[in-house]
Amino acid sequence: MSNLSMDQAVEVALELLGTDGGVAVGEVNAVRNLRWANSSLTTNGDTIDNTLSLAAFVPVNDGVASGIVSGQVRNREDIKGLVAAARASARAAGASQDAMDLVAGAQHSNFAAPATQAVDDGLGDIAQQLSEVFSDTSSQYFGYAEYSHDTTYVATSAGTRLRYEQPTARFELCAKSPDRTKSAWSGQSAKTLGDIVVAPHSSRVRAGIAHQANRIDVEPGQHTVTLSPSAFADLMIYLLWTASAREANEGRSVFSNPLGGTRIGERLTQRELTVATDPTLRGLETSDAVINLGASSMSSSFDTGLPITRSEILSSGVLNALASSRYAAHEANLPFTPITDNIEVSDAHGSGSLDDLAARMSDGLLITCLWYIREVDPQSLLLTGLTRDGVYVVRNGEIVGCANNFRFNESPVGMLSRITDAGTAIDCLPREWADWFSRSRVCPVTVDGFNLSTRSDAI
Amino acid sequence: MPANPNELANSLADAALEVAAEGAATIAHVRIATHDNRIVSVRDGNVENVGTDSTTGFSVRVVSQGAWGFAATHELTPAGARDAARRALAMAAVSAAVSTDVVSLADEPAYGTASWTMPVVIDPMAVSDDEVIELLMAWNEKVSKSSAVHHVDAHAAMGRDATFFADLNGNRLSQQRFRTSAQLTASHIGEGGFDDMRTCAPPAGRGFEYLQGHGWDWDTELAQIPDLLDQKVKSPSVEAGTWDLVIDPTNLWLTIHESIGHATELDRALGYEANYAGTSFATLDKLGNFKYGSPIMNVTGDRIAEHGLSTVAWDDEGVAAQQWNLITDGILTGYQVDRNIASHVGLDRSNGCAFADSALHVPIQRMPNVSLQPGTEDLSTQDLISGVDRGIYIVGDKSWSIDMQRFNFQFTGQRFFEIKNGEIVGQLKDVVYQSKTPDFWGSMVAIGGPSTYLLGGALNCGKGQPGQVAPVSHGCPSAVFRDINVLNGRKEASA
Repeated sequence: MSNLSMDQAVEVALELLGTDGGVAVGEVNAVRNLRWANSSLTTNGDTIDNTLSLAAFVPVNDGVASGIVSGQVRNREDIKGLVAAARASARAAGASQDAMDLVAGAQHSNFAAPATQAVDDGLGDIAQQLSEVFSDTSSQYFGYAEYSHDTTYVATSAGTRLRYEQPTARFELCAKSPDRTKSAWSGQSAKTLGDIVVAPHSSRVRAGIAHQANRIDVEPGQHTVTLSPSAFADLMIYLLWTASAREANEGRSVFSNPLGGTRIGERLTQRELTVATDPTLRGLETSDAVINLGASSMSSSFDTGLPITRSEILSSGVLNALASSRYAAHEANLPFTPITDNIEVSDAHGSGSLDDLAARMSDGLLITCLWYIREVDPQSLLLTGLTRDGVYVVRNGEIVGCANNFRFNESPVGMLSRITDAGTAIDCLPREWADWFSRSRVCPVTVDGFNLSTRSDAI
Repeated sequence: MPANPNELANSLADAALEVAAEGAATIAHVRIATHDNRIVSVRDGNVENVGTDSTTGFSVRVVSQGAWGFAATHELTPAGARDAARRALAMAAVSAAVSTDVVSLADEPAYGTASWTMPVVIDPMAVSDDEVIELLMAWNEKVSKSSAVHHVDAHAAMGRDATFFADLNGNRLSQQRFRTSAQLTASHIGEGGFDDMRTCAPPAGRGFEYLQGHGWDWDTELAQIPDLLDQKVKSPSVEAGTWDLVIDPTNLWLTIHESIGHATELDRALGYEANYAGTSFATLDKLGNFKYGSPIMNVTGDRIAEHGLSTVAWDDEGVAAQQWNLITDGILTGYQVDRNIASHVGLDRSNGCAFADSALHVPIQRMPNVSLQPGTEDLSTQDLISGVDRGIYIVGDKSWSIDMQRFNFQFTGQRFFEIKNGEIVGQLKDVVYQSKTPDFWGSMVAIGGPSTYLLGGALNCGKGQPGQVAPVSHGCPSAVFRDINVLNGRKEASA
């Protein structure tokens, strides 16, 4: 930003939007990362960026129209250009279905504070710790470390002034045997790289490689499995993303009631399982207000500034709520349910660690990671994907070896009723969705009849 | 920012390259890129979103002390450029302390100051929102008239990339390319549940003229959508088991992308993506001897195909666009490489597969246009269907998934036509096909001719950490595959 700070830029944008109003969101972002493969650092990056995004509201014959634009701004002229483009798009769009009055949201006292430019200096420490890991030549190591710091300024013509800082760190370590017949992974999300110690991760992946010394061929089929918190998180995040009130109410979702309306109130599992998003989740905090530009079934520009509180999609095993914008909630005659950027999945009777759960399973498969998860059938929310980086065979409560990988075909909704045991929820990094969703606190679970459809020869 | 070499771009490049050279960088690349995108979406006759975004970034990548260093900024000033160069050198210093691989790049001639623009008729970013909205609303109205259609979702996405590349060898390369895509999905909700039917038009390296009917017959396809949906809803659920498949290019492009495109990325085969996207079964020792598929299988990589989403004049390391063989008569004969990977394995030259999705991301080896060549005999799709006693003709892509070594894959589609005794007898639903890459391509028994060839593709190919997306095209004819495992998607959910 050459001439304007980002808090000034959003104020200028609102001024130029005039009495018609709108929403301005400014983001200042700094990212540093390291990547490694074959026990050597490879690529890296040190990036700074800013973006100003606008929703311009324009009165039209039959309501209020909205147009969206996003770009980098270096001076007042840049902002003028963005405002003009957004207003032109709004006029072309015509009245927005989801138009509602903006609320006068909170006004943060530090709104005008400068964006945090300096990034955590833990990257060098991570590199040093990795040099020790790489000295082990019995395996080859691969992975990624990233620290990002986002400062977000939100201003609306209704008076909302919000400023959020979101530091996010992420670390992943994968070990492979030199002949590439064994592979194990460990990952962690945190607020800073300083919160991450590499040694426990290297111990974990080395233990995984050791378990894989004994290879046991296991045929595809319906198996009793214990899913790690990371694996279960990947499935529950997909469930969360599809828990839309509008689609359910329209009859085109796994959460639709065949007799009309939604399945809210239906018990999906006999377990006291809760799936929630909560901006105040300790250690996994997120913004506590709606920040959105654009319209979808779950969000609307016109909701920006509204508070977000804890929402339980599944509450003690019962479908309790479905995510919505205000307009979608109104359409479906359901409570407004905004969701935020974290997930908590817990079982009221869950106890113990992943290892404890595997031991209680007695006989079955312990699945550490899922990968390449895609939707096959929205009606049942059938998902497919692969197991990855360790499927361990458990006999009499002990890990006795490692199985081949599998392709699964399973519904995260259908499988809820087959959960037979659960552990304690812990912070975990979802293997599949970590690029978009890293704040997860999820319990491990044991599931009967998990559909491991076909064999995968991949390692 | 800058469609062509201009004073600002050159001054920023000069400032950064000077700092890099003073910092003893042996290699320094500067990139400036502006990416403009537009999205318009319509839902049940109402405009839902109209928006544009534009980002411009400046980046410096150096090799110093034998290691990569990369830094980027939105600051387009000489001071910002110099700062980025210093930060890139600092990153290289961090990396050099723990790197055992010394970076070297395969040679490439310098091209001096040059520019290239993808030929299009109408710059998709230059048309008004009104024109795009009017088009989508007309599509919506056309399809929604049918009683079988209960909801209609349509969207159009367009983009324009303007990039500038400079290095210590005197290159000042500017290029501009475009992409345009649109989809419409009609949904039916009934007592038996819900289902949908989507258009099959692929994204293309074309301008707005694409949505007006140049390169795709939108009118005909949109007119067919309601009946196709109605038939699908009423069709029987597929019987799981072994079927012969005739796969249309609108579906086969995605299978090529996943099972050949990613599998022949040499960086994957060497382990550079092992933590994230995975590796490849097509390891370097298999080059020249591995039977990838049947003898009628010939696959090329290129960055030159007309309307290709990966088509450029130079890649993001200044390598001129080329075409080369990946699979010849069913045998693995080539890979996709960038300059570092090419040097690493002793190749004389890169085939130009370095790409970054913005100046804010480091270039990595990304997929070129990867295409299955048509047969020499110009067999039509109907000719292929005529040769199948019991099979399914699959049209359009939908769900896809493949394992981390590109062996086990599973795909669905938009339309599944049952074939009995060489004739299409109606639609099936819930079809899921699953196979293992060498088995699948080994089962290809017939291939369509040039008249069946279509350039499919995607805008959202993902790879790398931090994650990057890339647009890429895949040309292919229709083809016949014998004895493929077909699952019933509905029954899999209740297995």
